[in-house]
Amino acid sequence: MADAIAARALAKRYGRVEALADLTLRVERGECLGFLGPNGAGKSTAVKIFVGLVRATGGDAQLLGRPAGDRRTRARIGYLPELFRYPDWLAAREVLGFHAKLMRLNDAGRAIDLVLDEVGLRERARDRVGTYSKGMQQRLGLAVALLGEPEIVFLDEPTSALDPVGRRDVRALIERLRARNTTVFLNSHLLGEVERVCDRVCVIDRGRVVAEGTVDALTGETRGVRVRSDDGWRDYDVAHAEIPGLVARLVADGVRVHAVEPKQTTLEDRFLSLVRHA
Amino acid sequence: MTVLLFAGLTLRELARRRLVAAVAVLTLAIVAFTAWGLHRLATAVVDGAPIAEPGKHAAAAGIVILLAFLFSFVLALGAALVGAPAMAESIANGEILAVLARPLRRADVPLGRWLGTVIALAIYVAVAGGIELLVVRVTTGYVPPHPLAALAYLCALAAVVTTAAVALAARLPALAAGIVAALLFGLAWIGGIIESIGLALGNQRLADAGTVVALVFPSDALWRGALYALQPAVFTAIAANANGTSPNPFAVTSPPPPALLAWACGWVVAVLLAGIIAFRTRDL
Repeated sequence: MADAIAARALAKRYGRVEALADLTLRVERGECLGFLGPNGAGKSTAVKIFVGLVRATGGDAQLLGRPAGDRRTRARIGYLPELFRYPDWLAAREVLGFHAKLMRLNDAGRAIDLVLDEVGLRERARDRVGTYSKGMQQRLGLAVALLGEPEIVFLDEPTSALDPVGRRDVRALIERLRARNTTVFLNSHLLGEVERVCDRVCVIDRGRVVAEGTVDALTGETRGVRVRSDDGWRDYDVAHAEIPGLVARLVADGVRVHAVEPKQTTLEDRFLSLVRHA
Repeated sequence: MTVLLFAGLTLRELARRRLVAAVAVLTLAIVAFTAWGLHRLATAVVDGAPIAEPGKHAAAAGIVILLAFLFSFVLALGAALVGAPAMAESIANGEILAVLARPLRRADVPLGRWLGTVIALAIYVAVAGGIELLVVRVTTGYVPPHPLAALAYLCALAAVVTTAAVALAARLPALAAGIVAALLFGLAWIGGIIESIGLALGNQRLADAGTVVALVFPSDALWRGALYALQPAVFTAIAANANGTSPNPFAVTSPPPPALLAWACGWVVAVLLAGIIAFRTRDL
C-alpha cells in the first residue's frame, strides 16, 4: 500500500525567494506527523503543495499513491488552512452543507452532525459565522477539514486561536483520528502539543529538513538531576538510570533529600538548537 | 454541477448582505420619481392646451433614453462592484483555500461567480427596466420600438463589465479589479464619442481610434444597440440627417452590425477564459 504522503526533493521558488528546497519525507498511513519549523521555514508552502493549492517548482509529491493535487485524491483529504475566515453571512451548518455538496457526500446531514459534535459546535450550528468568536471559527474550520471522514487530515496551526480548553479538545480529537487510522499532518508552533500527540516529528528550516524522527529519538537521552536537600538545590551529572543509586547514597551519607528532578531535554530545547544552528 | 453551486452562493450572498433590499428601495424611489415627472408631463398644459400626443411621445422617448443611459452606468458600476468582490474576497480572506482542496475544477469558481453575478444583474435589468417602461406606458402611453431588445442589450453590457471584473479579480484585489473594470467601461463610452466625432468631422483617425476602443472593450457597442432599440423612428431619421454636422452620443442611425455583436460574444468568452487561466495558474 502506498504511503499516505511522500515527497521527494520537493522545491518551490517565488521569484528569487526559495520557499522550499529539497524536502523529502514520508508519512505512513495512520501516522501522526508533527511538522515543525520557524516562521517562513516553508511549512505552509509544503502543505499547500500537498493539497494542490501551490504548484511545486521542483521534485515530486504524492498523496495516497497519486500526484499531489489530483482531483480524485482531494476527495479523500481534509484541510484546515492557517489563515481563513468563512463568510460571516452563512451559518456553520450552511458552510458545511456547501462543502458537503462540493464533496458530493451521500448522507450529508449525518456527516455534518458528526463533525459538529466532534468539534463541539452543534448547538451554535444555525448561528451565522459573523456571531462566532475566533476560537469558534477555528472549530468550524476543523469541522470542515473533518467532513466526510478523510483519510488524511492536514492541520495548519489548528490551535492558534483556541483557549486551553479548546487546545485540550483538539489534542483529544487528534487522538481519536489516530485511533481511526486517519493520517494526521500537524503543522504547529506549539511544541508541547506536538510532543504529546505525534508519532514522529519533522523539523524544517529555510525550506530544508533539518531533523526527523520520533520525539524520543530527537530529544535523545538526557543526563543530570537536581536534588534539593537542607542546603538547597544541587546538580549531579548522572544518567537517568543512576538516579535511584545516587539518592540512596545521599540518604546513606545523611543528606535529607526533599526533592529530585531529573533534567529533561524537551522538544522545544531540541527545536531551538536545531533552528539556531541551521 | 459545481458551477451552479458557486452561482447560487453569489446570489445568496447578495440577498443576505441586504444589497437586494437596498437596491430595491432605491429603484422604487427612482421609479416613483419618474412616474411623478412623467405624469406631470402627460397632464401639462401649454398655452392653455394639453401637449399633443406626438410631442408627448417625443418627450417621453427622450426621457426613456436618458434613463436608460443612467441605468447603463448603474449597471456597469453594479457589475464591477459585485463581480470583482464575488471573485476576489474569498481569495483575500482565505476561504477559498479549504474550498479548492475539495475535488473540483478551479475553473468552476470564476465561472460560477460570473454566472451568479450576471444572473443577478439580468434579474435587476428585467425587473427595474420592465417596471420603468411600464410606468412610461401607463403615464404617457409611449412604448419604445423594441423594449425587449433594449433590455437584452443592457444585460449584455452588464455581462461584458462583469466578465472584465471577474477576470481581473482572478489576480487582483477586489477594489483594484472593480475600479479597473468600471474605468474600462468609461473609457469605452468615451471611445464611442470619439468615434462619433471622428465620423462627424470626417476624421478617419479619430473614427478608427474609437473603433479600436470598441473592439478592446465592447460595452459601448452594446449601449448603442440599446439606444437604437429605444429610439423612435423619427429620432433615427433626425440623427441620419444630422450625421456629418453634429455628433450626438444619445442618437444612432443604425443598430450595431452583427459582426460587432459576434465580436462582443467572442470577447466575453475569451476574457473569461483568460480569467480562468489566470486563476488556475495562481498559487494561493
